[in-house]
Amino acid sequence: MNLGTRKLLDHSFTALGFGSIIIMGLALLVVLFPIATKGVGAFVFKGTIEHRKLLLSEFHRGDPKEIVKEETETNRYRQKVFDMLAAFDQELDQMDYEQQSKYRSSYDQVKTSLRTLLGPLPGDSEPALTRFQYGQTRWDKAEEKLHGLLYEQKWDYSNPDVIAKPYDVSRAAGFAGTSLVKLFPYVEENLDKMMMPEWTFYWGFFTESSLDAHFFGGIWPEIQGTIFLAIGAMLFAFPLGVIAAIYFTEYARDGFLTSMLRSANSTLAGVPSIVFGLFGLAFFINTLHVSESKSVLAGSLTLAIMILPTIIRAAEEAILAVPKTYKEASLGLGSTKWNTIVTVILPAALPGILTGGVISLGRAAGETAPIIFTAAVSVGAAIGLGDVLTSPTPALSWNIYNLASEHEAAAEIRHVQYGMVLALVTVVLLLNLSAVILRARISKKLKG
Amino acid sequence: MRKFGAVLTLMAILAMIVAGNAGAATKGIVIDGSTTVGPIAKSFAAYFTKKYKVPVTVSESGSGNGAKSLINKSCDIADMSRSMKPQELAAAKSKGVNPVQSVVALDGIAIVVHPSNPVRSLSEAQIADIYSGRITNWRQAGGPNFPIVVIQRESNSGTQETFKDLVLKKAKVVRTAETQASNGAVKNRVSQTPGAIGFLGLGYVDSSVKKVAVNGVFPSVVTVKNRTYPLSRPLFMYTNGRPSGMVAKFVDLPKTPEGQRIIKELGFVPKY
Repeated sequence: MNLGTRKLLDHSFTALGFGSIIIMGLALLVVLFPIATKGVGAFVFKGTIEHRKLLLSEFHRGDPKEIVKEETETNRYRQKVFDMLAAFDQELDQMDYEQQSKYRSSYDQVKTSLRTLLGPLPGDSEPALTRFQYGQTRWDKAEEKLHGLLYEQKWDYSNPDVIAKPYDVSRAAGFAGTSLVKLFPYVEENLDKMMMPEWTFYWGFFTESSLDAHFFGGIWPEIQGTIFLAIGAMLFAFPLGVIAAIYFTEYARDGFLTSMLRSANSTLAGVPSIVFGLFGLAFFINTLHVSESKSVLAGSLTLAIMILPTIIRAAEEAILAVPKTYKEASLGLGSTKWNTIVTVILPAALPGILTGGVISLGRAAGETAPIIFTAAVSVGAAIGLGDVLTSPTPALSWNIYNLASEHEAAAEIRHVQYGMVLALVTVVLLLNLSAVILRARISKKLKG
Repeated sequence: MRKFGAVLTLMAILAMIVAGNAGAATKGIVIDGSTTVGPIAKSFAAYFTKKYKVPVTVSESGSGNGAKSLINKSCDIADMSRSMKPQELAAAKSKGVNPVQSVVALDGIAIVVHPSNPVRSLSEAQIADIYSGRITNWRQAGGPNFPIVVIQRESNSGTQETFKDLVLKKAKVVRTAETQASNGAVKNRVSQTPGAIGFLGLGYVDSSVKKVAVNGVFPSVVTVKNRTYPLSRPLFMYTNGRPSGMVAKFVDLPKTPEGQRIIKELGFVPKY
């Protein structure tokens, strides 16, 4: 090959390498950017007076005096709305039946929209569900709801032979000629004075329990559950995995049984996680009865089995990578085999073993399928350390799925879902980071 | 010294977690089962935990799983949107479990389509034809010339079984039907697919999908309560034996005024 071709090949390979790194970076950006921006929206947002009222009465946080002051201020503007409603109620009473029924249903819709914006209207009985006790706590949502108050989305069904298209109808036009007409421009103009939005950093999102099935409040039980499950899985899997790896590399004789065991281990690594989940349910809960119901213990054991193959393989590779001379030197000095393994081989292999542990830890924290049947619940309080043996727990991965698909009002609480995604990514990153730091310190110690 | 400090910090963190949850040490109520009953169970749980300080956990894994959990004694209450089948009762008996049923609320299985679909009403026979594949285009059901996307629930779902019993009778669901794993997922899919048809518990219906009248009757609190809506059904909570203590209090919530208000606000129909 002449020099020119060689250079050309060299350059094109460099370009290819750069290209793939850039594409990878872009892909990562495309994934991480929305996670970060939308996730941050869960706890940094323009909170309305309703948010502050909620914090005060449900979590006893905030300055009561300040909030009462704000409340009186907003009520001044809200009162006009309520007056208009009362005036229209009277007007409605004086109409004849036909006219009444013309307005009745759209008037009910207006009231419902107002309730979602401002909370219960005067004369309503106190709602039993927390989600109906307050108006919109977030300004972005409030603006959305305002649109729903001003315009009604209708579908053009005039031609039954085609799929209809939506169009907006101004609600004000529907009440033309009545006193209610004035309500719509008034609300549109004064909504900010009725809601008093201000930028809020809601740190409680990470430290508080959820209220009313994740409508309000935070995600602490989920975060804690994830940490418990991941660490629990490591507690079982790490020692077992390292011991198994030592057996494979140092004690097992190459033979039919060993190669069978090895290939079994590799197969186990390729089993889909839902199979582990079902196995965990059938074995740990229904057969061994490690706990009466789903529990953190059962979930950790299931996750441990799932990550065991990875840990064994990583530890095996790490032990095999220790230079043979170390072992020979140790044995040559008269040390026993066990002593050599514990004092020479394991310390030298530890950074590599920990890498396997780090990867598995992240996987254990992020997996959903193994914990569906063994540990995770959609709603529950944060459990104490003493309850891990018996109680199930909410966990980030499962609750993200739950909020994305199963929740009855999934579209209303997307921000919580995004917040959970960000929290999960952060938890995994932090767990990994601490393991990486630990690893760095250990290898530094070994060198020093 | 540094190690000592690290150990101390770790202990402090653990102590904080334990102390922060000291109140939760009492044995909680574990609930598993139907996604249709899920919203009620979750809201009851929130109310119950606040009032009695008893932790309640709720999983929504489907009626079939709820029944299995109860039979394996791994939950205290099984939410179900259908009654237990003879096989399940037999399995329960063989494991020494005695399932006792209490009605939580009434529900109508709402047939929903995309809001852009002009079809207002379908007969039971038409719905059966759509789900068994004899009708494949909305034109055949009085709608536009548009292919129908049939959406059903998984076999574990109580809503699916009730729907099959009430509408399909013996007929089989068409093979091309799409399966979704929860009420929420069906709603999501229908709200995004112009030709779609699906069925939901009444409490899940909102403005993102359009209810269709069945035999000319729209599902609503009134029509479900007086049973004129043909796809009405009760929702259940099953316990092992007659419930006692806190579990009994929980199961009896639908009989209290507070419980009834919760059920109503969620869009379901109180029975009592």
